[in-house]
Amino acid sequence: MRKKGFTIALVTIAIIISIFFIAPLFWMLATSFKTDQEAFTSGIKWIPEIFTLENYTFSLSGGSDTPVFTWMSNSLIVGIAGTLIVLIVDTLAAYGLARLDVPFKKLLFAMFIGSLTIPWVITFLPLYMGFNQLGLLDTYAVLILPYSANAFGVFLLYQSFRAFPKELEEAAHLDGANKWQVFIKIALPSARPIIWTLAIFTFMSIYNDFLWPLLTTSSPEMRTITTGIAIMQQGSFVSSPGRLMALTAIATIPVILIFILGQRSFIKGVTQTGIK
Amino acid sequence: MQRTSWKSKATSSLFVLPYLLLFTVFLIAPIVYGVWISMHDWDLLNPVNEFVGLKNYLNIFDSDSYLHNLFFEGLKNTFLFVLFSVPLLVAVGLGLALLLNALPKKLTGFFRTAYFIPYSVSVSIVAIIWLWIFDTNSGLINQYFQKAGLSAIPWLTDIPWAWVSIIIATLWWTIGFNMVIFTNALNEVSEELYEAGSLDGANRWQTFIHITLPTIKPTMLFVTLTSTIASFNIYGQPYLMTRGGPGTSTQVLLMNIVEEGFNQRQLGNAAAMSILMALIMIIISLVQFRLTREKKEAMK
Repeated sequence: MRKKGFTIALVTIAIIISIFFIAPLFWMLATSFKTDQEAFTSGIKWIPEIFTLENYTFSLSGGSDTPVFTWMSNSLIVGIAGTLIVLIVDTLAAYGLARLDVPFKKLLFAMFIGSLTIPWVITFLPLYMGFNQLGLLDTYAVLILPYSANAFGVFLLYQSFRAFPKELEEAAHLDGANKWQVFIKIALPSARPIIWTLAIFTFMSIYNDFLWPLLTTSSPEMRTITTGIAIMQQGSFVSSPGRLMALTAIATIPVILIFILGQRSFIKGVTQTGIK
Repeated sequence: MQRTSWKSKATSSLFVLPYLLLFTVFLIAPIVYGVWISMHDWDLLNPVNEFVGLKNYLNIFDSDSYLHNLFFEGLKNTFLFVLFSVPLLVAVGLGLALLLNALPKKLTGFFRTAYFIPYSVSVSIVAIIWLWIFDTNSGLINQYFQKAGLSAIPWLTDIPWAWVSIIIATLWWTIGFNMVIFTNALNEVSEELYEAGSLDGANRWQTFIHITLPTIKPTMLFVTLTSTIASFNIYGQPYLMTRGGPGTSTQVLLMNIVEEGFNQRQLGNAAAMSILMALIMIIISLVQFRLTREKKEAMK
């Protein structure tokens, strides 16, 4: 019976801790349905006394300085395009290094893996300068391209391709398939789970990035949702917690949904990265 | 059966070429360009950028130069954050993973999701949510304090509270990731080891110290390294929550680099600062790596 008491104690602790993680999100939702007057008056109300949708209609109506839908679609475009580029170039490179007779293979691999130790802080300023000189600030190019050089995906996929038995590929070669066909028809499907993991990792890190889009965009219609919200927080929404929270909720809910749905492959991916 | 004709090598190279191109343009070239900029008196408003060699670096180490303060004050604040956040990120992450592991299997998934959810949002959302909780007048915490008859705490405008707030918000945001990595590592500890331990009459604590910890050591190293690097890169939380204040006490190094480069437009100085910061990060990673390796050797 001692064991049962122990389990009950553990579950109680787990519930108390989950309050720490969930309550802030709930408080955000509660505030987003309150009038500002209620939000500011003291007294803790987890359920709004006067339930209002005004904050949502106002935030979504998007005046010229809060084009929420533009920000959301910018974030989606940048996130999806960046992820696609990473998936294409990383699968190709990883397969080449893992399986094909690429010249200087060892050197290239060492160089790519070595680059994982280079802190990002070293590149952001010169990258900004380069894009500035090409007149590409405040465009999709500057928001997408810099994410494409990350070697993390190459490393992840390389391991997956190496672990895949060679025989299937050799059989296909003997049947007269060329390298591209083998890559598309055999290698890619074999790496599907790890490709999904990489896709979720990459999308989330681009979608949620803050400093780079903050520095490289200046017009309201090129902002991503992450930077747009930050600017509203310091700008015209500063004295309206209700509107700010409504905006935050709008930005948060899609990511949380994607995250809960993709969680399984995300967690599986963390294991497969060889981090043990 | 590998043919090694030049034709075969050429088609194979095409697989690596696109990535190599992006790698060169968006990683190697910026590094070289950054070093080049750091050796110039590079003012954005001035068309002529004079070559000054290592002068920008020397200025950072010259205690009479304003750059010295900008760099080392920022570095000190970043170090403070790393020092307090990393042990918590590692210990609490491991603690939560141990808790999840000990829970009945049916409940693990639910609580893992609950603890992991905040990881999915961006730093600006983290800041907005926590600003509203830490607000001195209408914030949730101070309202509860008031109810309990305690005096309000200036969470965001006083030291050490500003750091406490930033660290709580950071833990809330990122701890789930470390927890997931630890959960995976704990699942890999073999049952046989535990059984052997319980046969020897080891209690929970002894099992943890003598069986669990040594087995998950590589994971500890990994989590410590990644948390250190992430904490070094701190920017959004103080930028959005405290604006570096009160005074400059939460003004971290990355904020100072951005300030010098983008607001003062002194790119040569800013580039030198970021290269030094990167070097410090690389050295610390190497030291951490070495230390854990040596301990491991010594244990054998």
